[in-house]
Amino acid sequence: MIDLVQVLILGLLLGGVYALMASGLTLLFGVMRIVNLAHAALILIAAYITFVLFDSLALDPIVAVLITMPVMFGLGVGLYLLLFPRIEGTHRYVEMTVLLTFGLALIVEGLLAFIFTGIFRQTRPDYVMDAIVIPIGEDQLFIPTGQLYAMVVSLVLLAGLWAFLQLTRTGRAIRATTQNRAAAQIVGINVRRVSALAFGVGLALAGASGSLVSFIFPFFPSKHWQWIALMLALIVLGGMGSIKGAVLGALILAVASAFVQDAFGATWSPIAFYLALFLILLVRPQGLFGAKLRL
Amino acid sequence: MSLLEVNDVVAGYGAGPDILTGVSVTIDEGTSYCIVGPNGAGKSTLLRAIVGILEPRSGDIEFQGKKVNGLRPDQMLEAGVCFVPQDPSLFPTMTVKENLMMGGYLVRDRELLRKRLDLVYEAFPALADRHSQSAGTLSGGEQQMVALGRSLMIEPKVLMIDEPSLGLAPMIADLIFERIRGFGALGITVVLVEQNAVKGLQSADWGIVLDLGSKEFEGPADGILADPRIRELYLGKQLARKEHLL
Repeated sequence: MIDLVQVLILGLLLGGVYALMASGLTLLFGVMRIVNLAHAALILIAAYITFVLFDSLALDPIVAVLITMPVMFGLGVGLYLLLFPRIEGTHRYVEMTVLLTFGLALIVEGLLAFIFTGIFRQTRPDYVMDAIVIPIGEDQLFIPTGQLYAMVVSLVLLAGLWAFLQLTRTGRAIRATTQNRAAAQIVGINVRRVSALAFGVGLALAGASGSLVSFIFPFFPSKHWQWIALMLALIVLGGMGSIKGAVLGALILAVASAFVQDAFGATWSPIAFYLALFLILLVRPQGLFGAKLRL
Repeated sequence: MSLLEVNDVVAGYGAGPDILTGVSVTIDEGTSYCIVGPNGAGKSTLLRAIVGILEPRSGDIEFQGKKVNGLRPDQMLEAGVCFVPQDPSLFPTMTVKENLMMGGYLVRDRELLRKRLDLVYEAFPALADRHSQSAGTLSGGEQQMVALGRSLMIEPKVLMIDEPSLGLAPMIADLIFERIRGFGALGITVVLVEQNAVKGLQSADWGIVLDLGSKEFEGPADGILADPRIRELYLGKQLARKEHLL
């Protein structure tokens, strides 16, 4: 019994971080219909920035969030204005975004490999090796401190994102654009500007995720393929474009794969991920919170 | 002085052919207009070109003496030209009230918005009853009411309405037309595009007949309704059928 609780805790901790990683991706799809295959590669950029700051200045990776978020926001707005207006309004826009961001992912991977080589990197703040031990009768529950911190920061940022989208004027404009781009235009929203902002916000979330995963997973320049596959699974499960869905999808899939890992070993845990995805989509093709897609 | 001046506008979609082949129209303040014509005449395209959704390939659009072609829809709205498209284009998972409030996105004065919201509820009591229902679950007529109500939140100078009666039951359509006739009293100049030529022209002072992408005729709306030649040529079948039904 206690083992199952332990597995559940580990799954939830990881799920919180996955949720943050996927929230930016689903935001970009929701607002702009961009399937950003470069999202994980951009998370890697933030992870490497965090690594450099940790390595050279001993800056705590969680504090580094304060740097990676604005840097990635700026990068996001710049990338959007540079790349996407060219394909806006083209025939097969969604497919074009896939090709464009696939190319972007390759470029980012190449640059990172050139600068940092293919060595495994990881930031190692002190709390990474710690764990909180909760004695329960004869047994003990372990909560790895690093993952706990990462989860807490993720939840705070997700709550902040929710408040931004629900309570601010810009947030309302982003939600309106997500629901109906034509209608957003009609009520006076500058959808190009809102899209650039949303791209910035999406990448700021990627920036925070990059800093947090830098001490959870060892990473190297081609690691992002593994992450993007996982994140796409999360947001498809949650319903593409739904942030609530991405969070729930992340928690469900992380817990499911934690249980499979516990029962059958680590080899099987990625498979559990995709198996759970297939099973849920058989029952609910539009995902948990997805509207039926109109592409 | 005219409020809105459309000069020899040519427009079309993507790489496709010209839908408007050179349209000139003048909209004066305080007069209400109805644009009629057969399917494919370019009526909706004309509205889209005016409100900035579609950039004209050539020609000029002037609003209050200033050239406005090339402006985005949000800039046109800021200038005072509002558009209600054919499909009501609502935000489906927002409530009726949220949708209406989004209509006032450009208005920063919350107090003013609340006042206008009350006016909208007065004009469309059905919306007041359903204010907390999500817009996606409304009937077609109610969605049209939300779209019209939403446009009132900004109190535009010119309101372009594209086919408000499309797909509505006759009784609901009558109610919608009655409300649109009332917009003039609020200082809003209405430009209506209508497939249902009789109802549309009955709700307007001035009629403009489009065919094959250019203006064929314009004149007082009741005159067009009464002129057998125009009816025969441009509104023929449709009017004949309508009259048969009456």
